[in-house]
Amino acid sequence: MNEVLLLNAAIGGIVFGAVYALIGCSLNVLAGVLRVINFAHGEFIIAGSFFAYVLFTAFALNPLYALPLCAVVFYFAGRVLYYLLVPRLAKSDEPETSSFLLMFGVSLMMVSVMTWIFEADIRPFNFSFEPINVTFFTIQDAYGEGRHGRILVPTARLVALGINAIIIMGLTWFFYRTLPGKALRAATMDREAVQIVGINIHKLSSIAFGLATALAGVTGVLLAVVVPSIDPNGGPDIVLIGFIVIVLGGLGHPVGALVAGILFGFVEQFSNVMLQQAAAQMVGFIILVAVILVRPSGLFGKAVTK
Amino acid sequence: MTNVILSTKGLIKRFGGLVAVNSVNLDLERGSILGLIGINGAGKTTVMNCVNGLYRSDGGTVHFDGQDITHWTPHAIAHAGIGRTFQVPRVFQRMTLIDNLLVTSLDSKETDADLIERAEHFLKRVSLVELRHNHGEELSGGQQKLLELARVMMFDPALILLDEPFAGVNPALCRLFIERIQELRDSGKSFLLVSHDLTSIYRLSSRIVVLNQGEVIAKGGVNDIKNDPAVIEAYLGQ
Repeated sequence: MNEVLLLNAAIGGIVFGAVYALIGCSLNVLAGVLRVINFAHGEFIIAGSFFAYVLFTAFALNPLYALPLCAVVFYFAGRVLYYLLVPRLAKSDEPETSSFLLMFGVSLMMVSVMTWIFEADIRPFNFSFEPINVTFFTIQDAYGEGRHGRILVPTARLVALGINAIIIMGLTWFFYRTLPGKALRAATMDREAVQIVGINIHKLSSIAFGLATALAGVTGVLLAVVVPSIDPNGGPDIVLIGFIVIVLGGLGHPVGALVAGILFGFVEQFSNVMLQQAAAQMVGFIILVAVILVRPSGLFGKAVTK
Repeated sequence: MTNVILSTKGLIKRFGGLVAVNSVNLDLERGSILGLIGINGAGKTTVMNCVNGLYRSDGGTVHFDGQDITHWTPHAIAHAGIGRTFQVPRVFQRMTLIDNLLVTSLDSKETDADLIERAEHFLKRVSLVELRHNHGEELSGGQQKLLELARVMMFDPALILLDEPFAGVNPALCRLFIERIQELRDSGKSFLLVSHDLTSIYRLSSRIVVLNQGEVIAKGGVNDIKNDPAVIEAYLGQ
């Protein structure tokens, strides 16, 4: 196997793995705190991509500047959406099933709105960094004697990886060092117990929803930078990866999402290099099925006895 | 200010066709301990759940400190000044002991240093300060009950509901628990105490209410309850 391809796959694995980890983290926040499976999360991410697209095409705003703006706008939009939709679910006999159906409806609605505004075609996002690629190192005789192979990494991927790392460190600080973050973690462990110590669960849940929506928006901007084409119908593929990541890592486990995201990124990228396209698409799902069979609570989750 | 801190009038809770709590009237005097006893399924924990808002009662009222708190949310009731522990401790298992206490201070204006100092003080009072950086899941069941008590003390409620605090707790921890309850009562806190441990109930409570099949069958001082024929028949099966 060609060393250049393998190294490129490894770098791609880290870059996309970090994006998947971010998707898993935000889905985990929602699943853990609200017990809501957000089927529309992929559409929130696509909406983030379109947010960057509109600001870039209309105002030539660099997507790196769009990132914080997107985070703030999506955070407050998420909190409003929470109060419009989620508290009513508590009155349902089966809130978790209802939440799944509700968010599926939101997903369909968002696809329709985005298709209506941007049409169904995939939109190119014509933003690029200078230089376009960064040469990491050269491998001698990579393609035979006397022929050198270079490891070229798109600058966009490196920038996205750096921003992702900062976001993940920020999230870790928030969850483990601040009182609201600790309260969110406590709510993932016992929603009733946080209420009896005086925490307003609806306010906390709206913060969680806002945070997850902001993370989705930011992920969308980063994805638009890394993969410069935006498909209004691409949400289900993204959310499916998110579900795989949280099941692999363990539902409600932030470190699990991080590790599982990177793992899935590596598996996906190496499979693309080493296997045929059709087979490569299956590998991630085979791992998912294997984990569910062998360790149903995920790599980091704990088995619950009922 | 009235001397009654907690009062329920005609409290009713149904689960489908089952009436778990049927017209229960309770009066708890400020700075005292009211024992609530009864056989399994008598409705003791259900009364507690209605008082602190985890269950929505189907009838009757709950008054706390002069306010009608019926149907208030659990967090509003906690803010009003009612704390709670559970029969099976509900500590935050994957958080450190100190964080278990700190989360109660989400809306506090105190500095982090002050909050940590206060949390360590309460952990010290339940002999857990040495373990403050351990996770809740690393504690024994009895220690988890003490951690719950420290967590309640952290937000300083006027009334504390204790659900089976001595069940499954070793004698040494039990003594520590009783000492802390007595100290808190002497400092003016009030308690609603549910326990199967009649020795502790008789020792701590100034008044006792006996429930059977969701209804109050007796109430009074310790000696009245000990000698009440209805209690002896219902509770001891004699």
